[in-house]
Amino acid sequence: MISSLRRANPRTLSDSPAAFHAPLFQELLTGLDATRRHVILDLGAASTAMLALLGRSRCRVEIADLAHFGGIDHLNRAEHGPALAHAAESLLPNALPDDAIDLVFCWDLPNYLTLDALSALMAAIGRRARPGALAHALIFYADRDMKEHPGRFVPTADGELIDRSGPGAVTAAPRYSPEVLGKSMGRFVIDRARLLGNGMQEFLFRLESCGDASNH
Amino acid sequence: MFERSKKDDDTIESQDANRNESDKTFGSRRSKVTGRGGDAAVIGRSIQINGDLRGGEDLRIEGDVSGTVELKNSALTIGKEGKVKADVYARSIAVDGETKGDLYAAERISVHVNARVQGNIIAPKVSIEEGAHFKGSIEMDPAAVEKALGKTAANGAAKPVAENKSGKSADDKATPKKPAKDARTNLHPPSGTA
Repeated sequence: MISSLRRANPRTLSDSPAAFHAPLFQELLTGLDATRRHVILDLGAASTAMLALLGRSRCRVEIADLAHFGGIDHLNRAEHGPALAHAAESLLPNALPDDAIDLVFCWDLPNYLTLDALSALMAAIGRRARPGALAHALIFYADRDMKEHPGRFVPTADGELIDRSGPGAVTAAPRYSPEVLGKSMGRFVIDRARLLGNGMQEFLFRLESCGDASNH
Repeated sequence: MFERSKKDDDTIESQDANRNESDKTFGSRRSKVTGRGGDAAVIGRSIQINGDLRGGEDLRIEGDVSGTVELKNSALTIGKEGKVKADVYARSIAVDGETKGDLYAAERISVHVNARVQGNIIAPKVSIEEGAHFKGSIEMDPAAVEKALGKTAANGAAKPVAENKSGKSADDKATPKKPAKDARTNLHPPSGTA
């Protein structure tokens, strides 16, 4: 009863964030092969908890913090075409040669990007990622509203996620459908999706190789 | 040119009556990072340095520094007012202010709340407090960190040999192309001081 009331009123959720179970996120972390090196791109803000989790494996973590460093506005305002592609490239941390991205944490940032901006960003990431790389995202699905600014998601000790961004104003959520997202993630195609208890949909995308993409 | 603190961080605090409350916590925080209290040179908030800054003692930067900072066996703190646009090499680095450039530490790098860091972080231990702003990469592969720091078993000091984006070694970066008005600044203490 309480959970259904919360789902119906996003302001309640905003005021008192609750940890939520995100099975695909958990699966990604537990599936990291400790014997090999991973390159992980985090589009959100750095958090000690996340670094502690990732630090269990051999990895290089690239943090873009799009929300704080003006990346969202920059992308949404860029003119379609080369300018947008350039804007997307410029938001990513400098890459090391031969260090292709294996895993991307998008958190809820896709909800705050136009579809053109999202396509450009994921295309830029796709150019730096190895085929088969995975991207994780949280999409507002059941709720009509979302916070005005992206969340600051942090894993809890139990492996759940909690949004530490605090209360804030709300705005209409775009509620991107799987079909729309499937066409707006560059060469990343939907691998799996789960509807979560908090009304968000959790997506796992997989990067196709150039050959795979041309077959579609 | 540099303000030198006296025996401990409490003395540093008492030198500037206008220092705010968060700065007053600085001494204890820094002691945690370096594992010892005591002497530290201070680049004050009105000081601007362009060029290579090298030294063999702990340093706190509250001013503006551009170029390269090398304190391979010492602790560096970039204070709340500090703005550093440089690649930094030190034993440990704590950031409360702003940095743009790569940070290399043989022991630990701590990015505190409200700090703004853009660049890559290479250290065996890294902590980023909630509320800090960071854009760049963090190397968490022990083998890659070891390689980047070129740590020598003999002295345990950071000897940066990491390759930068152009494929040059960090040693190459330690002698960057200097601006016309470059000033090489040595922070070695006068003889007789630690």
